[in-house]
Amino acid sequence: MVDAKKLPQVPETILKRRKQKAEIREKIKANKVKAAKKAEEKKGKIFKRAEKYVTEYRKRQQDQLRLKREAEKSGNIYVPEEPKLAFVIRIRGINQLHPRPRKVLQLLRLRQINNGVFVKLNKATIQMLRIAEPYIAWGYPNLKTVHDLVYKRGFAKVNHKRIPITNNEIIEENLGKEDIICMEDLVHEIFNVGPNFKRTTNFLWPFKLNNPTGGWEKKTNHFVEGGDFGNREDQISALVSKML
Amino acid sequence: MTARPLVTVYNEKNEATASQIKLPAVFRAPIRPDLVSFIHDQISKNKRQARAVSTEAGKQSSAESWGTGRAVARIPRVRGGGTHRSGQAACGNMCRGGHMFAPLKVWRRWHRRVNVAQKRYAITSAIAASGVPSLVQARGHVVDNVAEIPFVVSDKVEGFRKTKEAVSFLRRSHLWADVEKVYNSKRYRAGVGKMRNRRYKQKLGPLIIYGQDSAIARAFRNIPGVDVLNVERLNLLKVAPGGHLGRLIIWTESAFKKLDAIYGTPSTPSELKKGFVLPTAKMANPDFSRIIRSEEVVNAVRRARKVKSTPKVHHNPLKKFKLMAALNPYATVLRDAAHKKQKV
Repeated sequence: MVDAKKLPQVPETILKRRKQKAEIREKIKANKVKAAKKAEEKKGKIFKRAEKYVTEYRKRQQDQLRLKREAEKSGNIYVPEEPKLAFVIRIRGINQLHPRPRKVLQLLRLRQINNGVFVKLNKATIQMLRIAEPYIAWGYPNLKTVHDLVYKRGFAKVNHKRIPITNNEIIEENLGKEDIICMEDLVHEIFNVGPNFKRTTNFLWPFKLNNPTGGWEKKTNHFVEGGDFGNREDQISALVSKML
Repeated sequence: MTARPLVTVYNEKNEATASQIKLPAVFRAPIRPDLVSFIHDQISKNKRQARAVSTEAGKQSSAESWGTGRAVARIPRVRGGGTHRSGQAACGNMCRGGHMFAPLKVWRRWHRRVNVAQKRYAITSAIAASGVPSLVQARGHVVDNVAEIPFVVSDKVEGFRKTKEAVSFLRRSHLWADVEKVYNSKRYRAGVGKMRNRRYKQKLGPLIIYGQDSAIARAFRNIPGVDVLNVERLNLLKVAPGGHLGRLIIWTESAFKKLDAIYGTPSTPSELKKGFVLPTAKMANPDFSRIIRSEEVVNAVRRARKVKSTPKVHHNPLKKFKLMAALNPYATVLRDAAHKKQKV
């Protein structure tokens, strides 16, 4: 490899390393191109999904209106579906709690004051909410509330850490199996209380909200008494927008 | 590095002779500065002489405490009167003229026993280090023009009777510079040792190791800094002075030849040291960085996993549209629709 008289000007190891580095650089470039293409495809996919959801929500809203109007026209009453989704906020602090409501609040992941979680409503959960009633304010959030909560206050539980959702990769890596790959999918799954509702809401860290601007009415009374705790049905959206 | 090259023997005029000796296996023993330092530390304690304070020091007074009630401290006080000394405190480490705290005792453990195997390991390490020119130079010896390290000299040197012969040999072999270093380094010792028969300090020069008992020591002993040792009775305190490796050693031919018999080789045990086998290194190839960068290792090792940096700061997508668009590509469409509606 080397003629006996003259040594090469540049040592062989350096030449070898240069070649290796050049190869690596080529590979990285190729990978970048591939990754960019993938990202483009994904973006298109998410776009289509978001579009689909927008039409779906609009359709649902129009449907409800239509059914209501039709019923009124024919003198009937339209009874809408019982709500399936609730947003529950813990109103009171941690001191002087009876063990039973304390346990219920723990099970609902409401371990701190002004923490909020989405809850699927069924017989079991409604009874739980009844036990913890004096310490929570809850109701049926609308789409805007769900959307704003997830975007502004949405943090993910990744590796037992609370991580802000700064890009869709975080969602895809954790919920990709359930075909939830972006924020809009999250919102859709929660609002519709889909089959993967539990995994989705569990993926989200409990929402940490502010105290409401303008203040509480009276935390120690039920909403119907002019206070704050308990089920306030649709009025929860107004409260959450003040706490967001 | 277990290759054992041939070492040329030089004559007393520093000309290479025809005879060449295969490097003894000792020179390939593992070089353990930590071990040598420790063993040297232990061994150097063995020449100490006991010293202590007199057993009666500070206690030769019949002092007794005055007790309480006399507005003085309860320390024992000297009895009697008629002199300043009477009534003064005595017999405490805090008192003037009293005994010291924890008077020194002669039965302090002065000497240390060292395991024979460890002593032998240390010596082989020190000999191995003396064969590495960089270590010898690092220890401070002047070896710029020395013909070869290890430096082996014909047995004629063992026949020297006169210091004149010894000096001319050292000059011819370019070892005189090391001796001159010793001359130039002679200085007063700092401290009280000056008045305790340890007035001067100077550096150490070369060490001569001979194979046959002869009068060689008498020729070399008056040259400052030069030490002479018999190869069968090597002293770690001389081969690795201060616990530091790399003394400049001049071997005579017979001494060099004896090394294989004294310390053995990896295939033959030592003849003179019962049950002794040359120590083996923990790593055959100690160049760790070279190993881990070698092609074989690099190709066998998987890629380093990039630890995903998790985003810590959270900005509000509802207020920052760029973020919103990144999270939801459809957001631009919605915004444009909203703008249009507003305009109308």
